[in-house]
Amino acid sequence: MTVADRARDLVYRYGLLVLLLALIVFFASTEPAFGTVRNVLVVLQAVAITAIVALGVTISLTVGGFDLSIGSIVSFVVMVTTVAQVYFGLPAWVAVLLGLAAGALIGLINGLLVVLARVPDLLATLGTMFVFAGFALVPTAGQSVAAGATFNGEPAPGRIGPDFLWLGRGSVLGVPVPVLLMIVLGVVVSVLLARSRPGRLLAAVGSNPEAARLSGVHVGRVKVLAYVASGTLASVGGVLLAARLGRGDVSAGSPYLVETVAAALIGFAVLGANRPNGFGTIVGAVFVGVLINGLTMQNVPYYWQDLIKGALLVGALILSFSAIFRKDRT
Amino acid sequence: MTDASAGSEPRARARPVLSASAVVRTFGASVALDGVDLELHAGEVVGLVGANGAGKSTLVAILSGALAPTSGTVSIDGSPVRLSGPEDAAAAGIATVQQDVDAALAPDLSVAENLVLDRITRGELGFLPSRRTIERAARELVGDGFTLPLRTPVSRLRTAQKQQLLIARALGRGARVLFLDEPTAALSITEQRALHDQVRRLAAEGTAVVYITHHLGELTAVSDRVVALRDGRIVGRFAAPLDPAPIAAAILGSLAGPVRRPPRTGTAGESVLRARGVVPLLGRPGFDLELRRGEVVGITGLLGSGKTELLRQLVGADALLAGTLELDGRAFRPRHPSDAIAAGIGFVPEDRRSGAEFPDWDLAQNASLADLRRHSRFGLLDRRSELRGARELIEALRIKAPGPSAPLSSLSGGNRQKVVVARWLAARSRVLVLDEPFRGVDLAARADLARLVRSDTVESALVASSDPEEILEVADRVLILSDGRLVAEVRPDEVDEESLARLMVAGLDAPAGRTA
Repeated sequence: MTVADRARDLVYRYGLLVLLLALIVFFASTEPAFGTVRNVLVVLQAVAITAIVALGVTISLTVGGFDLSIGSIVSFVVMVTTVAQVYFGLPAWVAVLLGLAAGALIGLINGLLVVLARVPDLLATLGTMFVFAGFALVPTAGQSVAAGATFNGEPAPGRIGPDFLWLGRGSVLGVPVPVLLMIVLGVVVSVLLARSRPGRLLAAVGSNPEAARLSGVHVGRVKVLAYVASGTLASVGGVLLAARLGRGDVSAGSPYLVETVAAALIGFAVLGANRPNGFGTIVGAVFVGVLINGLTMQNVPYYWQDLIKGALLVGALILSFSAIFRKDRT
Repeated sequence: MTDASAGSEPRARARPVLSASAVVRTFGASVALDGVDLELHAGEVVGLVGANGAGKSTLVAILSGALAPTSGTVSIDGSPVRLSGPEDAAAAGIATVQQDVDAALAPDLSVAENLVLDRITRGELGFLPSRRTIERAARELVGDGFTLPLRTPVSRLRTAQKQQLLIARALGRGARVLFLDEPTAALSITEQRALHDQVRRLAAEGTAVVYITHHLGELTAVSDRVVALRDGRIVGRFAAPLDPAPIAAAILGSLAGPVRRPPRTGTAGESVLRARGVVPLLGRPGFDLELRRGEVVGITGLLGSGKTELLRQLVGADALLAGTLELDGRAFRPRHPSDAIAAGIGFVPEDRRSGAEFPDWDLAQNASLADLRRHSRFGLLDRRSELRGARELIEALRIKAPGPSAPLSSLSGGNRQKVVVARWLAARSRVLVLDEPFRGVDLAARADLARLVRSDTVESALVASSDPEEILEVADRVLILSDGRLVAEVRPDEVDEESLARLMVAGLDAPAGRTA
């Protein structure tokens, strides 16, 4: 291995972690408020939801699929959980279950579209992305949901309960609940993908579906399960977002598509994995969160955010698809 | 070994068209070519042989400008050159026809358009050239001897025709040196003979042809002289009259050993897999097939005879078109490959790359896929157990690899094939169904695989191959298919390669067929 090869390998393995560290040092030195415990918690709380949704993206990427509908799932679940509580006065736990079921169901629809109807994944989830973004608007006639909103001409009976809000705002031993969930789900997804039989089967389908089938893997079933997992994780993000906001903002989930896809793709490059992986995805989400938060503190106006995120996504795509960092295959 | 020095060769006084001198090529720490000298003269056919990983592809890549040598020189007409890519080589009159002919063709374009594709893209035929212009340019390029219909889209051509097209294109562009990389791998016997005739003709007209193949029979038939590579060095140079035996010995080195085992007479036990009234292709008369315990049944036939289609139905890869299956005397109807696997049948498909390999995975992961449950502890995979299993398989199948965690893509074709077969040994499959298991596999690996299939590790096996030599080497009984029909059944001691090849072709002349 030549010096150049070795250097390239090192850059590929650790470059992203070094870059993240450099960003943190830079922001902390130029803006003292960045390095405070309070701000770290703010960043992590924002990152947690992105990370959890991005774990779902990681699973769909593992089977070689792509789920464009996750942002819409987040939006739809925000509305489902808040409407259930405010309009129908349902208890928090029922609202949570309804939200998770909605996400799983959309994932199932995506999976069936891809596997049974044989619609290419990008197009199938592009379709469901619009359908469920639209569905999120229908029950409230495009209005946001909060306690005291009008429903059928009368004040809505329910409100968003404190148990529900705890999911987004509470903490256990000083650690915010979403951050705790991020850690737990991050470990679960990482172990599932890297160290379990189902994870190996997911990777087999993503690597070579025909070879997987001839080796006895039920490719269709595995793909459907991946989309269901992706939808369910997006709905966990939706529940947490609704609980953090304390209201049902329409289209609250739309920024998550670009952020989570960027996070998962950045994750390809963490520690030279070169494939979707749980740990990398969380590092990717932290990367996105630190960048957005740091730039906001540098007084970069909010309307720059989409541009920055888009550029970040393009960078992540280059990182994971271009041959620059691939090993010499000859 | 006749390691004749270049000086004793008859054409040595003429200046070589293309030569390599002391060429070394390394990839990282591994040495692919270790000081190779080779001279190619106008009008000769040079056979190039060697096991997978011996350095053939690297040598061809360097001589044809696709790869630069680490040290050493490549000379054209005696003067050293630095070829910086295939275009450079083409301009210097060096052309390569790769084994994968589709990679070099645009399938939706016509034969004529493919012939002059370079001129069209360079705009030499004008902006938006008419069909007539293109066809005239194509005819100019290939001359009247070219028989393929110019207007047919390339996607409708057979492999042999695509090869013809590529050869014609290369020669039309003024190629003086032509590399043919495993040109007959996908050809029928008759097509192979036609290609050999063409190669001889080209040589007679003054082209230098380098012919790469694993098949010694072909090699000795078509070449003027043969160069054998092993471990990046030239280990033998052979001149006519060519005798396969010393060439095989040179390729294999110390590995050479008798492959053929005396047929196991009378050892075949009770029926394992029985098919009644099956048809490889729709609309053909059904036939029966039986595989008994301790038996290796070969299925042979030309390309398109239905071997692959038949095997895929037996293992649940495709739906059964007709008839019924029995396994151990009980009805067996696989709806998915997993059903066949659960019943103890392991299937190695014809196209290993698309149907069996996970190139980005390591050897152990590739080998364990059908056997993951045994490596699971409390729902999690035990990597150490997986590696241990892989190490056993590496030893049992003599897989040449740095270790169980080497990426599959770093292995040679023969060793990758061994890993794919190892997957089914790991899964404790009783019956192996192998479709063209020796294609792209070097002689040493082929001998190992044939020995394995005939050993007690494998209870019974069904092996399809269109190569008479291979099928006679491995099978106890051979079924001959033609156009989806069973035309004959023979035993290896009843026929030789020639007569088996004749039977494969004969089936086409008498479509009514004989029943076995």
